[in-house]
Amino acid sequence: MKDDALYFWNGPLPETQAPANAPAPEPWAETKVVGKPVTRIDAYDRVSGSAVYPSDVILPDMLHAAVLSCPHAHAMVKKVDVAAALKMPGVRAILKDGDVGTNIPWFSGRGGFSSRLFDAHCRYEGDEVAVVAADTIYQAWDAVRAIKVDYEVLPQVTAVADAMKPGAPAVRDGGNVIPPGQPYARGDVEAGFKAADVVLEHTFTTPCELQNPMELHGCVAKWDGPRLTLWESTQGVYGVQTGVARALNIPLANIRVIGHYMGGGFGAKLSHGKYSVMAALLAKKTARPVRLFLSREQVCLSMGNRPANTITLKAGVKKDGTLVALQSKTVGSGGAYSDGGTGGVDYVIRELYACPNVRCENQNVYIHAGPERPFRAPGHPQGAWALEIMLDALAAKLGMDPIALRLKNVTLVSQTRNGNPKYTSTGFADCLKNGAQTFGWTEARARKPLPSHIRRGVGVAGGMWQGGGGSPPATAIVKLFADGSANLNMGASDIGCGTKTWGAQIVAEELGVPMDRISVEHADTGTTQFATPSGGSKTVPTESPAIRSAAFDVKQQLLGMAAEQLKLPAADLELRGAEVVSKTDATKKVALGQIQAFSRRGLLVGIGYRVPNPPGTAVNPFGAQFAEVEVNTKTGEIKVLRFLAAHDSGRILNEKMFRNQVFGGVTMGIGFGLTEDRVMDDGQLGKLLTVNLHDYKMPTALDAPADKTIVIVDPHDHAFSNTGAKGVGEPATIPTAPAIANAVFHATGLLLTDAPMSPARVLRALEARQQAAAGQKRGK
Amino acid sequence: MLRTFAYVRPGSVSEALKQLEERGSRIHAGGTDLLGCLRDGVFEATKVVSLAKIDELRGLTVAPDGELRIGALTSIAELAAHPAVAEKFAALAQAASVVASPQLRNQGTIGGNLCQRPRCWYFRGDYPCTRKGGEMCYAVGGENQYHCIFGGGACVIVHPSDTAPALIALDAKVRILGPKGARVIPLEQFFVLPEKDATRETVLEPGEILAGVLVPPAPAGQASGYRKVRARGSWDFAMAGLAHAITIKAGKVAAARLVLSGVAPVPWRLQAVEKLLVGQKLDAKLVARAADAAVAGAKPLAHNGYKVPLVRGVVEDVLGAVPAA
Amino acid sequence: MDHEDRDKPAAAGGVSRRGFITSVGSGAIGVAAAGALVKGEPGQAPAETVKAGDVGTITLTVNGRRHKLLVEARWSLLHVLRDHLGLTGTKVGCERGECGACTVLIDGKARYACMTLAVEADGHEITTVEGLMNGEELGTTQQAFADEDAFQCGYCTPGQVMAAEGLLRANAAPNLDQIRQGMAGNICRCGTYAHIFKAVAKAADLKRQGR
Repeated sequence: MKDDALYFWNGPLPETQAPANAPAPEPWAETKVVGKPVTRIDAYDRVSGSAVYPSDVILPDMLHAAVLSCPHAHAMVKKVDVAAALKMPGVRAILKDGDVGTNIPWFSGRGGFSSRLFDAHCRYEGDEVAVVAADTIYQAWDAVRAIKVDYEVLPQVTAVADAMKPGAPAVRDGGNVIPPGQPYARGDVEAGFKAADVVLEHTFTTPCELQNPMELHGCVAKWDGPRLTLWESTQGVYGVQTGVARALNIPLANIRVIGHYMGGGFGAKLSHGKYSVMAALLAKKTARPVRLFLSREQVCLSMGNRPANTITLKAGVKKDGTLVALQSKTVGSGGAYSDGGTGGVDYVIRELYACPNVRCENQNVYIHAGPERPFRAPGHPQGAWALEIMLDALAAKLGMDPIALRLKNVTLVSQTRNGNPKYTSTGFADCLKNGAQTFGWTEARARKPLPSHIRRGVGVAGGMWQGGGGSPPATAIVKLFADGSANLNMGASDIGCGTKTWGAQIVAEELGVPMDRISVEHADTGTTQFATPSGGSKTVPTESPAIRSAAFDVKQQLLGMAAEQLKLPAADLELRGAEVVSKTDATKKVALGQIQAFSRRGLLVGIGYRVPNPPGTAVNPFGAQFAEVEVNTKTGEIKVLRFLAAHDSGRILNEKMFRNQVFGGVTMGIGFGLTEDRVMDDGQLGKLLTVNLHDYKMPTALDAPADKTIVIVDPHDHAFSNTGAKGVGEPATIPTAPAIANAVFHATGLLLTDAPMSPARVLRALEARQQAAAGQKRGK
Repeated sequence: MLRTFAYVRPGSVSEALKQLEERGSRIHAGGTDLLGCLRDGVFEATKVVSLAKIDELRGLTVAPDGELRIGALTSIAELAAHPAVAEKFAALAQAASVVASPQLRNQGTIGGNLCQRPRCWYFRGDYPCTRKGGEMCYAVGGENQYHCIFGGGACVIVHPSDTAPALIALDAKVRILGPKGARVIPLEQFFVLPEKDATRETVLEPGEILAGVLVPPAPAGQASGYRKVRARGSWDFAMAGLAHAITIKAGKVAAARLVLSGVAPVPWRLQAVEKLLVGQKLDAKLVARAADAAVAGAKPLAHNGYKVPLVRGVVEDVLGAVPAA
Repeated sequence: MDHEDRDKPAAAGGVSRRGFITSVGSGAIGVAAAGALVKGEPGQAPAETVKAGDVGTITLTVNGRRHKLLVEARWSLLHVLRDHLGLTGTKVGCERGECGACTVLIDGKARYACMTLAVEADGHEITTVEGLMNGEELGTTQQAFADEDAFQCGYCTPGQVMAAEGLLRANAAPNLDQIRQGMAGNICRCGTYAHIFKAVAKAADLKRQGR
């Protein structure tokens, strides 16, 4: 399986060849701008409210559109009567199955399965039936409600366990249980378990989570003759361009996708949506721009999720803490349309700790629910939940400190990749050690519990992310203007990670141009360079070396021109601020504005390409997180008192933004561990019950601990790219929930295996333990 | 987006009552529950009757004898911040401060908080449930982790209000205005159990309006409070909560009123527990007995059994912290 | 045509015509089309009436500027601010009071614009994130958010800024606990809370310094 590949990119990755013998920059030593806590260059736009997000785009004559979603978990659409709706005030167009131009293939899957834009066979509550464009958004929804649909409601199944039973309503032809692929296996797990001194087995469950970024999914579509412009809330404008071009069968050159600002994605916006195509079709039909954004309820229903998983994990360990065998069986569902449901779950189990005997089986199942979309570190929080809690259970059995157990099994090589390549750097051990020291681990673990029903405890969990090392393709262009100001042009979207800012910082570092004299263009298929979608913690490691190469290219050209003019070798010259100066004789210099060849050219253009990481290496980010909790054993309430995140993401490009993102990942992990859970009406109507932001519970300001610390582990990895920067978006959220669970374990002795750890689950576990103890007493 | 409705903003209660005679008329106080219900299609509104101009429904005053008079349009934020409320009626101040979110507290009113519709996700969802006049309760056999363990019947909601249990603990009354004039009833009698009528939560007749809340002067030495257990730190309704008003005299419980939230279709008064406490010393043993008594007769559903130990735990937690003297 | 009816004495029947143009003869923009507006008379429908599907005139003071607008009763303040006044700084997140992205100040208090009918905001003072600017310069609270990197994707940010502003106007020196409570009505999916708390504290400092 291709872990290194971008999991959301279909097909082979394009290779980008760098020019042969191109000079490459030396690794940075001391940096002046890179790494510093520079204020974001678009801070003004965002805090002033002047940044125009796709949902803010207002065009003259623009129409507003709304989607009619199927209210049933499983139904056939027999008839769609739009006659009354068409006559309603302000309604300009309605599209439904059978209308011209709507026969567009959509989801495709196993066995040649294919659905369509408006598929009469609705396979989950939320499947699209029709779309209305009207003068106002209120009129659009009035018309949606006036569309009369005859549904044949069919039996449905939304619980994975029920879907696996014989006789369950069939979500797809060929049954609900997808024939599993080859399990992953290395070594001999049975022999491993035999050789182990301690073997434990637990079944863990994790919730189905909804990304629910703050900006709703949608776009504004406008045609100019044959050319379409889409302002879309997306993580990748080129992905949208490709998807919509294919759907509408128009040349790529005729679609421009603009995605300058976007209100969050977390993986839910890595590709276009039906709304992209619907808006374009409506805009064509009405000859007016169309804004189509889904409602929050529709986003909850149909814009992606992290599948719930059941993971049975068996682990064997020697007395001295050496892991000898790991075996996992994972079950999950990607909904009705995805063939997945367990992707990425076993990665940390296979890779994070040294273990010679490993076997991982995955079982994917169809249910009548919305399709999964990659959600920040797909599979990894689930795998870490099982693995890291298991490690603490093993540590307890061995009487070993949980950190010592982890340190015992740190590996310097990738165990799953062909040839077991060495990591160019792994700061995992340092994350554990330095994090523990800063956290005050030893003292906190040794603290005697007070005689109170409120128990305190501390826990740790480790993690790594399958991506985050970067790869081609990426192209960046840096322009140096005659006055020494610069422009950076790149395709990558800024999904909240400060992409434009660190990009500018790299240009500033390489060329000495002050930050306020650098402009950045990005995320526009009409005007900027190619980039794959921003996600998977790939943007920093992929784009940063390309940007540096582009800036370096400019510098080489400049030095070459100055060398000719000064009659000195280029190697003797360096760029200092707005001058080129001889390294050996400071009196020999020329101001940028005085370099004649530069003035004649008017502009210098540097191009940077992302070259592949060195073959035979593995590049991954690592982390360890620590939590202190307070558990009220009377009410089951868990309070996270303080939290520490220690991360190796290589070189940090901007410390302020890095810390912000790590805290953000931790907050999301708190949701996974304590509050988030998609609930469906299993066994009755199969509808989504957590269909709004009250019932689907994302962490608020009062759920994020006030006391949060970050420890940065920078391994100074110069081996894999010219910036040495790895990704952090995903690593930041992988170990959070199990760190909290392990703290609860330390505080109470309860090994909680089911996330989220709501008061209900804590109370059930407490009661079960009480009854078990009572039963034992009685047994005597 | 909301369906269309007419809108009227009368200047007096009598005008408002006249407007409310029309079928499909709905009251807009703060509007925080009204708009949510309309968006979810819980009910329809052909006309929205705004109370914004009716000054007689405003005002929070303390009478010379210490009685608290709260106009129905008093915002939750005002209740949470008012010094007189915090000083003598802590349960109400604490309850108000944990309602919803700061913005909703600025907008929502005490009248609206008491009259709000339940949060059951079947009631609020696209389900023709009993409470909406339909044939069945979907929670009974469905996802009932947040539903009731007491008082359920044809419907198993929990009453969502935090201020109601606090006010009942404080022995509050409500003033109701209607076409036949005014009536004042104990707040405890304001709410309706499903066994009586599963389609409404309050005794308000069509055309009646909740005009205000009256809280009797706090007895000397009364300590009160409200504890709320919920999944998140903000917005969420109670998984279970406890309002208490306890007076200790000479080391013994002289009076006690205890009311649970989040466990029954109405604020759930724990009279059996109160009887247990009165006249006794509030020690750990009594607290444990009180906790047992609080859950006696609980009828959990398939997924909310945890509410039994939760209620026990909340009762122990709260009573255990009441100053003994 | 900007005069305010606010101070006119109450008409017969005890109904004030505060801020709500009722008579065709007042010359208000577009009133001629609004046959739904009825003058208050004892025994009849009160003055402030909008028929279903029709429009009525309201006056909103937004960021210090008075606007006379024709609105349907069901339109939210959020919709009017964004789609009619072009003030898109206030964001759409859920339209049901569950996320905070649409937070504005109404008479200085933080409120969700999505949960406020435009007709209910009639006659009140509304401040949006645009209203905190000093010309082209960032306002104090905004500056603090920029300095403390208190945003990531930035979509919830205007709402956070307005909630912070509302908090600081009510409590000029909040401690960390009060800050967290005050910001508890604004979801940040990017999880920027830690930096937001810092920004609110910094804004409090800057305001105290008169900046």
